[in-house]
Amino acid sequence: MHPTIRTERVQTPSKRLQARLGMLVLTLLLALPSTGLAQDAEGTLKYRQDLMSAIGSDMAAISDILKFQLPLQANIETHASNIASNAGLMNSAFKAPISDGPTDAKPEIWQDWAHFEKDIAKMKAAAEKLSQTVAQGGDGAAIGAGLKTLGRTCGGCHKEFRKPKKESYKNK
Amino acid sequence: MWGLPQGIPQTQKGILQKQIVDPMTNTSLFVVGLFACLAWAGLLSANEPLLGDTERGRRVFDQSGGCSCHTNYSKEGRNAPVLAGGRALSTPFGIYYSTNITPDLETGIGRMSDAEFITAMQEGIAPDGQNYFPIFPYTSFTGMSDQDLVDLRAYLSTLPPVKRVNKPADVMPPFSWRWGVSLWKWLNFKAGRWQPDPSRSEIWNRGDYLVNSPSHCGECHTPRDWTGGLDRSMWLAGSSDGPEGELAPNITSDSKTGIGSWHLRDLIWFLETGFKPDGDDTQGLMSEMIEHGYAKLPQADLEAIATYLKSVPPIDHRVQAHSSE
Repeated sequence: MHPTIRTERVQTPSKRLQARLGMLVLTLLLALPSTGLAQDAEGTLKYRQDLMSAIGSDMAAISDILKFQLPLQANIETHASNIASNAGLMNSAFKAPISDGPTDAKPEIWQDWAHFEKDIAKMKAAAEKLSQTVAQGGDGAAIGAGLKTLGRTCGGCHKEFRKPKKESYKNK
Repeated sequence: MWGLPQGIPQTQKGILQKQIVDPMTNTSLFVVGLFACLAWAGLLSANEPLLGDTERGRRVFDQSGGCSCHTNYSKEGRNAPVLAGGRALSTPFGIYYSTNITPDLETGIGRMSDAEFITAMQEGIAPDGQNYFPIFPYTSFTGMSDQDLVDLRAYLSTLPPVKRVNKPADVMPPFSWRWGVSLWKWLNFKAGRWQPDPSRSEIWNRGDYLVNSPSHCGECHTPRDWTGGLDRSMWLAGSSDGPEGELAPNITSDSKTGIGSWHLRDLIWFLETGFKPDGDDTQGLMSEMIEHGYAKLPQADLEAIATYLKSVPPIDHRVQAHSSE
């Protein structure tokens, strides 16, 4: 960066070209990872939402069996165990601290990660318990109680860590 | 209740006419005597105060969504003192705080008579003659029957009293002036009991009564005009200024912006569990009204509410957050 060195460098046209190419490469090198990051963020948000939708779908399927009194009560075992498995993927899915863009995840998730992990563990435990209750031939009341406990874990975590409707990107 | 004493003289008249035609017999004497007794009983019961039943009152409490606005679940959580008030209810006009409706004699409603309780709920007038702010949804409760109200009162009286002084509203004038509420009432409030529609089924009528009186769905799910009055042309079409500043969804039968795609059983299940047809849960005040109220209702009430809601004409109205937020 010494002024004399700089005057020497820009004296020949080829050297000037070299310097400009170097700048271009540097710019590209700097730009590439950030584009990659943006793509990652988009993909991460999409993946998180698909994972949450999968949990929601199993919850909806359990609800369908009960509200329409379908003779498929045994299937609740699998649906509940799916929820438990998907709960096991949530820690890794939410590891990246992204709360901007098309997402309803609150920044509090990463400010209080231990609490978030505990909430996930609660959901996993409640889902496993419901699955076992069905496997052991539990009656309607036992299944209902198990579902209520599981439902509370959804609500509890959403209350802390999901943006309310008025702040949701879906209602903007 | 008021129809009975009016009806009796007509019946008596009919019997007297019959007497002129028929010779006096033992049977007709018995019939006249019986009707005279019934007429007396009817006149007496019309003047006697109604008796509240705590078990029926619990059901009315559940129909109202557990009076959840009066418990500060939002700030004090699940262990908040039940019905002790103090819950902040933000509106476009400022913040109102719900009141203590426990039977506490000093800070609650323990000293209120049944008649004063009925006037409060049906007319929006406090025992001291002042108007209540319309954040208290007497616009819906006015439809409730006297019997349901004394039953509710009887149930509320069984709950533990809590000492907690009411908090004044944090609202700008003119919305903080109680006398201004008279003007508001003149514009937006019509007192009167709910009336059945004889052309509709019994279950629909029951649902109409529940949805629009004790369960007061329209208070949050209907948009309000600039005076804070309910826009009745948009009944149940959702509001951007719902309770606590939240969005209240469109619950008309519109299939795109409302709940027209929901099955009758989806609605019942939602009111029992808080779970929507897509498996997502509900949050905010609605989740509390379900947990502490609607979820405990008998199937007959839930089916009535769902049947009525399915019949609400569709209004295309997408509820969105204000762009300034």
